[in-house]
Amino acid sequence: MREKSTTLYIGPQHPGITGNMMVKLQVEGDTIVKAETHVGYLHRGFEKLMERRNWLQSFTIVCRICVPEPDPNEENYSRAVEEIEGREVPERAKYIRVMTLELARIATYLLWYGGQSGSAGLLTMGQWSVGDRNYILDLFEDLTGGRVYHMYIWPGGVRRDLPEGFKEKALRTMDYLEKRLDDYDKLLFENSIFQKRAKGVGIIDKNKAIEWGVVGPPLRGCGIQSDVRKDDPYEVYDKLDFEVPAMEGGDVWTRALVRRFEIRQSINLVRQVLDKMPGGEYYNKIPNPHKWTIPAGDAFVKTESARGEFGYYMVSDGGNKPRRVHVKGPAYVHGITLLENLLVGENVADVSFIMNSLGTCPPEIER
Amino acid sequence: MSENNLHNEQKLLNLLEKKFILKGGSVRRERRVEVKVEPKEIVPVLLYAKENSGYTAFTHMSCVDWIEDGEFEVVYILWHPEEKINFFVKTRVSRDNGTLPNIDFIWRQANTYEREIREMFGIQFEGLVGREEFILEDWEHMPPMRRDFDTVKFVEKTYFERPGREDAKDVREYVQERTDEELPDFAKKYSRD
Amino acid sequence: MYNDKESQKIVDIIQNYARKHSLFILAYGTGCGAIEIPPTMTSRYDAERFGIRGAATPRQADVLLITGYLATKSLKRVIKVYEQMQDPKYVIGFGSCTINGGMYWDSYNTINVLDKYIPVDVNINGCMPRPEAVIAGFVKLQKQIQEGKADGWDKYKKNLDYYKENQKKIITNWVMPDFNW
Repeated sequence: MREKSTTLYIGPQHPGITGNMMVKLQVEGDTIVKAETHVGYLHRGFEKLMERRNWLQSFTIVCRICVPEPDPNEENYSRAVEEIEGREVPERAKYIRVMTLELARIATYLLWYGGQSGSAGLLTMGQWSVGDRNYILDLFEDLTGGRVYHMYIWPGGVRRDLPEGFKEKALRTMDYLEKRLDDYDKLLFENSIFQKRAKGVGIIDKNKAIEWGVVGPPLRGCGIQSDVRKDDPYEVYDKLDFEVPAMEGGDVWTRALVRRFEIRQSINLVRQVLDKMPGGEYYNKIPNPHKWTIPAGDAFVKTESARGEFGYYMVSDGGNKPRRVHVKGPAYVHGITLLENLLVGENVADVSFIMNSLGTCPPEIER
Repeated sequence: MSENNLHNEQKLLNLLEKKFILKGGSVRRERRVEVKVEPKEIVPVLLYAKENSGYTAFTHMSCVDWIEDGEFEVVYILWHPEEKINFFVKTRVSRDNGTLPNIDFIWRQANTYEREIREMFGIQFEGLVGREEFILEDWEHMPPMRRDFDTVKFVEKTYFERPGREDAKDVREYVQERTDEELPDFAKKYSRD
Repeated sequence: MYNDKESQKIVDIIQNYARKHSLFILAYGTGCGAIEIPPTMTSRYDAERFGIRGAATPRQADVLLITGYLATKSLKRVIKVYEQMQDPKYVIGFGSCTINGGMYWDSYNTINVLDKYIPVDVNINGCMPRPEAVIAGFVKLQKQIQEGKADGWDKYKKNLDYYKENQKKIITNWVMPDFNW
């Protein structure tokens, strides 16, 4: 007796998905036969907005493109403007930028812990890790003035210098987080429920991963060591000492392990940066923003964010406002083409699990 | 950054200049190579770069509206995973009913980029299969990313005016009206004139 | 027998006391303000001591929390969800995008003033509001419930034509039935 296939809408209002998007499934029994994604519920038209604002006003709206992790956006925008104009950034500003990016990376990984274990039904992990993430947001509040949207890294350097007592507070937070990582291991990674659910689910083929456009932790979870900080280095990453973890397997379990090892590398990077920071200026002053023009040209810059490779393509025509800014986030490929291929043959109950593990974040798919 | 450091980038340019007709090409800096072609040469150049030269990763595809020349400029960006070089391929197509070849048989994720460019700019791709609506729903006006689409007029016609902004003026005039304070010197020097 | 004015007042007081201490929020993150909801619900700024927790479907929820801007595609789904919720229901507008459009005021895809499409009870301003500001907004809603002034759901039923005319001006492909209570 053949089963009939039904259509299910895992729609915009759902407690399990990672944002405001819809996945339309054709299901036979409990197995998925075909999947289709619908996006566009969060479209604001950022690129059209930036054509009406001048170079400094556009920097203030850029951080809201990616909601969980706003700092790589500001970094990309500033580096693209500096590359087209040819502006130099002082050494101290580069070190402060690296520290800000690594703190944002740790905060995003702690939020990911909550999402991934919450979609498997293990809800205590989210209470612990999101509660500890507040300590990093306290550091950001001392440094920049805001918890979530900072507007701190701008073309020419950073906006303010480190306040007094920041270094001791940051080192204390890093020591506390390193002790808590062992507690998270006992709660999540040694839990047999999580292991049975995560092993063998959502497998990406290693030989086709690069051709399909997979980037970031999903690519490192297939066994390929690829990281923009080592391949196309920017700021002062070529002077700092860190490793890029990669493991074979390609399923949800190895991706979770890769992220777990990267938190430790980021904590070491923050300690190195605070140790090696030179003195000097923190800002290369820009002229009057209402009359600041940039010569004609274009540039493409990349940054490694917590979910993959973030790219900006910027074109200038010699005027006061940008001609075209095109933002490409890591979830543009992971959330549409890759998700539609990985979901075929899986259980309906694993849809939210796989979405969390790939890191789909709808605000950056449709800007 | 001496000359022999850019040896790998120059190698690709030399190979391409022998086989195809290029409209221009240069090495911009380390890890960035650029080439300009006609629309009918896009598929041969991209296939050659993927299969013979090892540029297997498709990073990005974008479109710029040059309304003064009456053309759209479409840019393809590729990446070589071992030699770590970015490769730009640029082409120009006309603004009225321009068409470009479809490349999603080479890389599957190009389907999404082409659907977005078709919706936002209005360029047609030959043989592109995919739903017409990608981001916008029930949109009956001009493709919105073109430069002759005026967003402020559209917003004033469709949505309600936001309250509290009718009498927005420069804060210096405000201060001088409400008090008899003399503005300090540093406040007078800032100018937007 | 119990329909006279004094006993109706006592029944109202007890009902409002019970309603204000158990507000269930619908799990729907409509905009960029949804990033400050997990910190409000977890261990540091614990919102469950006020009786606030999450609900999975519209039939089980009391409060609809519109966190930020609304694209027109999202507005259609929010109206469907709002009409499925059962009385009494409350709407909280979160962030400055619901008050006057915020920083996306000149975007072709986002609405500017939310109050013209569905009735809003409390507005919390900020970009993003801190978790303490979110809890202050909920306390203000609780005070309004106790005094009997949070009646957005009643306003919607009485002025249905006004709201529907505003909604249909934007949403051209109207495939939903017109509600008639």
